Amino acid sequence: MSILLQGWSLYIRATHRWPGVAALIPFIPVVAVWAIIAESGLFPRVFFPGPVDVVHSFVSLTYKGILPDYLYDSLVRLAAGASIGMLLGIPLGIWIGTNRIAHRICWPVLLFFQAIGDIAWLPILLIWFGFGLSTMTFVIVYTVLFPIVLNTVLGVESVSRDLGRAARSLGASPARVLWEVTLPGALPNIITGLRNGLGYGWRALIAVEMIVGTSGIGFMMFDARRAGSVVEIMVGMIVLGLLWYIVDGWILAPIERATGRRWGLVTA
Amino acid sequence: MPATPSDKFRPRQWPRAISPLVGAFVFVAPLLVLVAIWAIVVPVFHVNPRIFPSVGSVGRAALDSIMDGSLFMHVGASLLRVFVGTLIGIVTAVPLGIAMGISSGISAFLTPLLRFFSVLAGIAWIPIATLWFGYGAGAIIFVIFNAVFFIVAYNTLLGVTTIPHAVRNAAASLGAGRRAMLVEVLLPGALPNIVTGIRTGLGFAWRALIAAEMIATNVGLGYMLFVARDFYRTEVIVLGMIIIGLIWLLIDRLILVRLERSTIERWGMVRRS
Repeated sequence: MSILLQGWSLYIRATHRWPGVAALIPFIPVVAVWAIIAESGLFPRVFFPGPVDVVHSFVSLTYKGILPDYLYDSLVRLAAGASIGMLLGIPLGIWIGTNRIAHRICWPVLLFFQAIGDIAWLPILLIWFGFGLSTMTFVIVYTVLFPIVLNTVLGVESVSRDLGRAARSLGASPARVLWEVTLPGALPNIITGLRNGLGYGWRALIAVEMIVGTSGIGFMMFDARRAGSVVEIMVGMIVLGLLWYIVDGWILAPIERATGRRWGLVTA
Repeated sequence: MPATPSDKFRPRQWPRAISPLVGAFVFVAPLLVLVAIWAIVVPVFHVNPRIFPSVGSVGRAALDSIMDGSLFMHVGASLLRVFVGTLIGIVTAVPLGIAMGISSGISAFLTPLLRFFSVLAGIAWIPIATLWFGYGAGAIIFVIFNAVFFIVAYNTLLGVTTIPHAVRNAAASLGAGRRAMLVEVLLPGALPNIVTGIRTGLGFAWRALIAAEMIATNVGLGYMLFVARDFYRTEVIVLGMIIIGLIWLLIDRLILVRLERSTIERWGMVRRS
């Protein structure tokens, strides 16, 4: 017992000194339990491979160049879709947020089309565009667009009207009010929308790659499923998880926190 | 006429207050206009029914599938799967989240794990779920359970850890036992986060359901859409899309949003103080 306690206190001290450790250490027992279950032969090895098998498979997939290629394809698709989604979504959101009539007309339509959801578009997109890049891009743009638009509208509306009035009465043109009051005020929400949108878009990408399937991580996983190779599916899942963990935890969340701290005052 | 500041920034007030009926009409009107445009454009431009169906053919597809009962079969199967998966997910995730949140050391230890798995939640599990459980309802319920479980557990944990220690200490020093602490401090304090987690998780689960049904089953809304594609029956696809949108709109707006708002109004105080 005392050894356990000592270990725990060591862990607490280590995480205080190097916070990065806290994100890694918890995975050690999980991997250990996974290895023990896999080695014990409780499940057939084919259905439940151990960590060593997964690492082997990861190395060989990387060596063959399949994994890096597919990863690159997936990331490019996601980045392209997200950029187009932002370029369309932020202006649209600001227009709807500042214009009362546009808001009345567009809000129900937006809610409805958001509710249809990305994947439900897939069958008709396949008829329109066939199996290919335009289908995938459409789905990702569609998925990323709605969280960005809806959150931008919320952000624009959360900016106190008095701030806009004050700026106008001090002689700011409508364009300057937009640039210096509305946009900064809405920024925390826009970033939140982007983060949600990427979360949805990334999942949609996996689904689309599974169904449309020409390349990408989702395709790799589903292809492995057809071949009955659980190891490769697990490699895919772990790569996906790690990747999003890094993107979300080290890039998106800090940006969100920083904008919230920098601009959050405006909304208060 | 140039827009003056006063009418640009006039507070919006009119329709919402008049009556719920008018409010509902104002909400539905743009959608009706959209349907009207659809009804005009398709015949005027002679759109190929293989590319986009007319309003009439979608209506006929709706009537047909209601008559032969297939629509209810697909909708029922989808709803049942979502319900079962979500229920199992919530029932297991909330106690686990609260148990983990009681000790700050343990919760700090487990947070990265939960985040990792909530990132994977849903669609990424489809291939392995179909291998483990075979094609069918089992795999789909597993995927939905997965989407809900990790996100709800993570949010519950987050909710418990955001309860100020002063509140917990105050309750303890006033003689609250474990039970009272759980029922009167931890659960209500975490409730806004739990509800938010359920809403997020269900959002992912609903999408994962459609994707999983396209891949791994022979009944359900996703399957209905995907089979219609094989026969170029766009009217069935559009019907399915409208139904998917309507169902989610109803679940989200009538149940989840209201639940979220009322819990935040009722219990949000605990979190803010």
